[in-house]
Amino acid sequence: MQKYEFLEHTADVTFKAYGRDLNELFENAAEALEDTMVILDEVASGEILTIEMSSDSYENLLYDWLSELLITFEVERFAVKKCFVSIVGFSLTADCLGERLDLNRRRPNAEVKAVTYHNLAVTKNDIYHTEVTLDV
Amino acid sequence: MAFEELVKRGEYVWEVPQDAALRMRVPGRIFLSEVLMKYLERGAIQQVANVATLPGIQKWSLAMPDVHTGYGFPIGGVAAFDVSEGILSPGGVGFDINCGTRLLVTTLFKEEIEPRINELTTALFEAIPSGLGSKGQLRLSEKELDGVFWGGAKWAVNQGYGNPADLKHCESNGCLDGADPTKVSPLAKKRGKPQLGSLGSGNHFLEIQCVDRVIDKKAADLFGLKEQQVCIMLHSGSRGAGHQICTDYLKMFQAASRKYSIELPDKQLACVPADSQEARDYFSAMAAAANYAWTNRQVMSYWVRDVLEQQFNTTATLVYDVAHNIAKLEKHTIDGRRKEVYVHRKGATRAFEKDASYGIEQPVLIPGSMGTASYVLHGTKKAMSTTFGSTCHGAGRVLSRKAARRSLTWRGVTEGLQRKHIAIKTDDLSSVPEEAPEAYKPIDEVINVVSKLGISEAVARLTPMGVIKG
Repeated sequence: MQKYEFLEHTADVTFKAYGRDLNELFENAAEALEDTMVILDEVASGEILTIEMSSDSYENLLYDWLSELLITFEVERFAVKKCFVSIVGFSLTADCLGERLDLNRRRPNAEVKAVTYHNLAVTKNDIYHTEVTLDV
Repeated sequence: MAFEELVKRGEYVWEVPQDAALRMRVPGRIFLSEVLMKYLERGAIQQVANVATLPGIQKWSLAMPDVHTGYGFPIGGVAAFDVSEGILSPGGVGFDINCGTRLLVTTLFKEEIEPRINELTTALFEAIPSGLGSKGQLRLSEKELDGVFWGGAKWAVNQGYGNPADLKHCESNGCLDGADPTKVSPLAKKRGKPQLGSLGSGNHFLEIQCVDRVIDKKAADLFGLKEQQVCIMLHSGSRGAGHQICTDYLKMFQAASRKYSIELPDKQLACVPADSQEARDYFSAMAAAANYAWTNRQVMSYWVRDVLEQQFNTTATLVYDVAHNIAKLEKHTIDGRRKEVYVHRKGATRAFEKDASYGIEQPVLIPGSMGTASYVLHGTKKAMSTTFGSTCHGAGRVLSRKAARRSLTWRGVTEGLQRKHIAIKTDDLSSVPEEAPEAYKPIDEVINVVSKLGISEAVARLTPMGVIKG
């Protein structure tokens, strides 16, 4: 199963992410976002950051989750290489392994302004999938 | 909604018919020439139709000639909503609240700076933080940041970053009334605080330009523009502060839209009744972000003037500063009645028939893509009656960033600029193809269409000499 793929969007970045379960879907969507912001191969995974949050739907939880990762990157410079997500109901706990980037040494890949709600949906047929548009 | 359904209503006017099945409340209107029609995407037509479903929309859901697919609203979208029966939508403004353009005119002429263009571009590049995650040189306290949110460009001028005369030459005098920093989340403040006075990345830029051609001499004289004169154009917005304010309110409005039983064709169009407390809160926060953006451009102008002073012992006068991502409370004549409406301009520029800054029509600034011309225009009476006093905001993308990187090389694009004797400085050469002329529609054609439509009239054409790409 492919983890995620980038689609054509005239102004911004759109990706589709997949997962055999919701946890994997959220992990893969996070990786797609990080892949947009940094060169993932160059990110170490020596630090851990735990994120907890709750929402009222899977779509809103995904929006909050990706927005949180974006802000963590912009404010703390923490890039996530690998994360382990656990979703119970509409609550999420995630252990994020990554690195606080020294921007004097290494520059990010693209500045993502925000996660959008455009066509945002979490759906399931054989597997879970979602489509997310980022404003860059 | 497909291409075949578009109905031609005039030389450059294409109507998206009101479709009851789509719950459209008004028809859509897209302004295009045959040349620009080639670039129209199905997604953009759909987004024009989607905006037409929002409550209280007046007359038409509009798209300017530089239209392309966005998220929620199309880029180039304009819509006006009744102040009592309509809505306010953060997605109709966008994440980069008050992203806008500013033009300064120097006392220098092309031949004076030509031999030193690399030196000047480098000096400006070093003076103005740009690029990914760029941070400003100001270290603001919480209280000072609140001052920025309240006061806009006036805050900067009071702190010594510019002259009181600058304020007269900004849309809304560089300060939107009704801003309230208490409606701005701590996170938005945290994101915005270190970034004041920075350009940002992507399509944000600073250009050294020269007036290539004066088209309307009377207006050009009033705006202080002469042929061959050197200008500085800035394109930037409200940085992380605006991005987070939009993120916060979009999330809040997902639930609020349901509370007010507003049916949405796209979640990104989340909105609330214009007379609700939620709308008042959003407007106060949006105005704070708009004021941040005006301060940002004002502070960067200070560094520009500093460089000009050091390098050429001269200064620059502000021609105008105008937003292209904003919602404004304005009065318009609709079906013969004066009405208060919230005009949402998402990638569209205000183009009023009257403006206090020069006592004539309002100046309009339209940048082209990197290495191509930019224009100074002015607003018109026709814009007041057909586009709620709005016009285009740029050339408009045709290639996705990804496709641009795939089909063009940074070396090819920078060599192309060099052939035209345009200096370039950036801290990310790999992103240069994304802003190349090939990634955008032809600016001259976009300007031709807005001029022929009469929604703005060209005053001067400017060509680039040096580019700082954010």
